Amino acid sequence: MLSVQGLSKRFGGVHAANAVNLRVEAGEILAVIGPNGAGKSTLLNLLSGLLRPDEGRIEFLGETITQAPPEVRAWKGLGRAFQIVQPFPEMTVWENLLVGALYGKPNTPARVAERVVEEVIELTGLTPKAQTLAGELTLLEDKRLELARALCTRPKLLLLDEVMAGLRPSEALEAVELVRRIRNSGVTVLFIEHLMPVVRALADRVVVMDYGQVIAEGPYDLVASNPKVREAYLGRAS
Amino acid sequence: MILVGLLLLVALVLPGLPLGEWRAFLLDTAQFAFLISALALAWDLLARTGQLSLAHGAFFGLGAYAAALTAPALGTLPALLVGGVVAGASSLFLGLATLRLHGMYFAIATLAFSEVMRTLVLKAPFTGGAIGLPVQPAFGGAFPLGGYYLAVGVLALAAGTSLLVSRSRLHYAMAATRQGEAVARVLGVPVVRVKLLAFMISAFLAGLAGGVYAMKTLFLSPYDAFGLGRAVEALVIPIFGGLYTTTGPLLGGLIIVSLETWLRLRIGEGYLVVYGVILVLTILFLPKGLVSLFRRKGVGHA
Amino acid sequence: MELLLQTIINGILAAGIYALVASGLALAVGVVGIVNFAHGEFTMIGAFIAYLLFVSTGLDPFLSLGLAALVLFMVGAITYLGLIRPVLAAPELNQMLLTFGLSVALQNIALLVFGADTRVVSTSYQGATLALGGLSFGVPPLLAFALSVVILGALYGFLDRTRLGLAVRAVAQNRLAPGLLGIETQRVYLLAFGLSAALAGVAGVMLSVMLYASPTVGFAYTLKAFAIIVMAGLGNLRGVVPAAITLAMAEALVSTYVPGGGGWVEAVFFLVIFVTLTWRSWRAA
Ligand SMILES: Nc1ncnc2c1ncn2[C@@H]1O[C@H](COP(=O)(O)OP(=O)(O)OP(=O)(O)O)[C@@H](O)[C@H]1O
Ligand SMILES: [Mg+2]
Repeated sequence: MLSVQGLSKRFGGVHAANAVNLRVEAGEILAVIGPNGAGKSTLLNLLSGLLRPDEGRIEFLGETITQAPPEVRAWKGLGRAFQIVQPFPEMTVWENLLVGALYGKPNTPARVAERVVEEVIELTGLTPKAQTLAGELTLLEDKRLELARALCTRPKLLLLDEVMAGLRPSEALEAVELVRRIRNSGVTVLFIEHLMPVVRALADRVVVMDYGQVIAEGPYDLVASNPKVREAYLGRAS
Repeated sequence: MILVGLLLLVALVLPGLPLGEWRAFLLDTAQFAFLISALALAWDLLARTGQLSLAHGAFFGLGAYAAALTAPALGTLPALLVGGVVAGASSLFLGLATLRLHGMYFAIATLAFSEVMRTLVLKAPFTGGAIGLPVQPAFGGAFPLGGYYLAVGVLALAAGTSLLVSRSRLHYAMAATRQGEAVARVLGVPVVRVKLLAFMISAFLAGLAGGVYAMKTLFLSPYDAFGLGRAVEALVIPIFGGLYTTTGPLLGGLIIVSLETWLRLRIGEGYLVVYGVILVLTILFLPKGLVSLFRRKGVGHA
Repeated sequence: MELLLQTIINGILAAGIYALVASGLALAVGVVGIVNFAHGEFTMIGAFIAYLLFVSTGLDPFLSLGLAALVLFMVGAITYLGLIRPVLAAPELNQMLLTFGLSVALQNIALLVFGADTRVVSTSYQGATLALGGLSFGVPPLLAFALSVVILGALYGFLDRTRLGLAVRAVAQNRLAPGLLGIETQRVYLLAFGLSAALAGVAGVMLSVMLYASPTVGFAYTLKAFAIIVMAGLGNLRGVVPAAITLAMAEALVSTYVPGGGGWVEAVFFLVIFVTLTWRSWRAA
């Protein structure tokens, strides 16, 4: 579904993405993990088109999209939820979602868009907040809105950046259930996460990044016991 | 919506009312107020995308000069159209150049643009330069109320466009662009197109208003038509009335221009002081404008 | 050759005042984080102070510098406390609009009080020139330039050598989120804004001799100062002087060598701002 070859991005002296190769298969749930500053969010920015790579190629559904602007990628089926929530603060929750529904695919009739919003708002449990201004939500509600808005664009591949950070265990469990349901409805998921239990429960496959590079890849148990991965985490922690 | 319709209705029948000896003055003031309110509505349309322009004096002036220069050959209505188109075309250039500028950088760049335009008009061989340009009245003066009704027409067009945009999907694209450009793009909003479209509609309307203004004053000079004063009026009125609404700039325009006219009679130069003071007071005490006094929360439509 | 040399000298002499005004604006931007559209109006007030003192008491403008600086420091401080501080936490655009409104208001109040006429402070040395090897130096520009150098020297000395100056620079370097401002930071803001206005005022005094005092004399300087600090890089005080020299030189060259000179100077200058801003924005992407 998605294939990335030799993707690199520098910020001054920092190599935030360094020759990253990555494949995402249709229908899977892929986790990207790594210590703080490993370059995970940068990778998502490159994928969603907010950053242009210095080098490398991105292919999505057989087309090269390396130079495509973000909105075109959205139309092709790339959805994204941000790590730092960015609701449109002067719009209600409903209106926030409507933006995604109206513009996520070109020429969506208003009636269709509203139906999409109704479905998604139900699915994500935001119905009671529909008429609340997004600027007045709690952080947790903002996170849910972030995910819901991405869903409204009807993505084929959904990129999630730490949407579960800050959730209590019971809430995380709910969220895990939600992501499963999303996948079962036919959406491929790439998610970034720090909570290992979530990664273990959800991911079919795990990619580990450190210093902008992919240092390991595979099923959770294999990756978790990889010495390079342990060093990346422990080395930074101490 | 109802208020907007009502206002336009009053504007239509105003010349038929028994206005007494003040009739000429009242109609003249009303015509000016309509044109400036139209300019303010146009400015607000662009502001909805987050672009606070100081170039609307220039769009107004370009429209005025283009209409004045082409009217003898083309006739009144086509000339006005030319004025709108010239302003719209120049805005396309400005909009493209400033796509990546935000906040104060955008404001300063648009201000610089107006000053360059003013100099160009001042120096161009066919504009009358610093001496100024005499202009024929609308329809060669055949209808005494022609200019007045043209102003009503431009105001109706501006208010109609403003309402229509508020009720269309463009409303959401503009608000999203303003409140988070990067997120908007990731959600599929074609931000570049939205910004440029807003620029062109806005400048076209400003240019139209400028053209009618030229045929009203019968004389143009770069200092008046391109003055910073126009840009200030275009910006202060919507902020005072209530940004991103139709009622706000309309109501604000009528109130402020009345105030301005009264002040002009009393003190002449320096009347712009009201704009400065109102702007400061609004930002400090009523940052959401007049309409917020009677409206609920939400971006809603007004 | 002589013409070129003369042009370059004119450019350098003009750069002094530009650097003064721009340093003030850079202080406000760098420390308080506000682009003050009314900065040029502080310059205008300075020019009128010098003019009024000269007309009423015959005081030489260069002697009223100190008083003008003091008055404008107060004006700056009051502006900060009354208008700027209440909107520090508001969106950046509100701050910009507020100072823009202040600028429009001050300009037009001056217009109401003094009328649109330009008023020249005609000192005995106003037209005096020094000739040196075929080149001529106007005495007022020379004096103004020398004073600018001294004042800027003092400013940089203050920022580099004193504890308070260090505090100012520290605030400029890591601007905190508004709302988290401590007492100390508040004081630094006040000081920086007052200093900023004082610098503008001093420049205004010099303008009253070299040019004139008028309600609109300052606004052009706001924009020139803005162009300079954009060129220097926002918040970079060190870059202000070279940028001021560049701009002044460009203006001098245009007015000497472009046919039809005068009227185009403004346009060229605005074109420079426009191109600098837009070109930077595209390159940065
Ligand atoms: N716009 C930028 N400009 C400069 N440096 C940047 C920029 N964005 C990211 N970086 C740097 O690139 C590196 C990778 O950052 P990134 O946000 O991708 O990390 P991350 O893996 O998402 O970390 P976290 O787990 O904390 O979210 C960091 O060193 C960061 O400081
Ligand atoms: Mg991250």
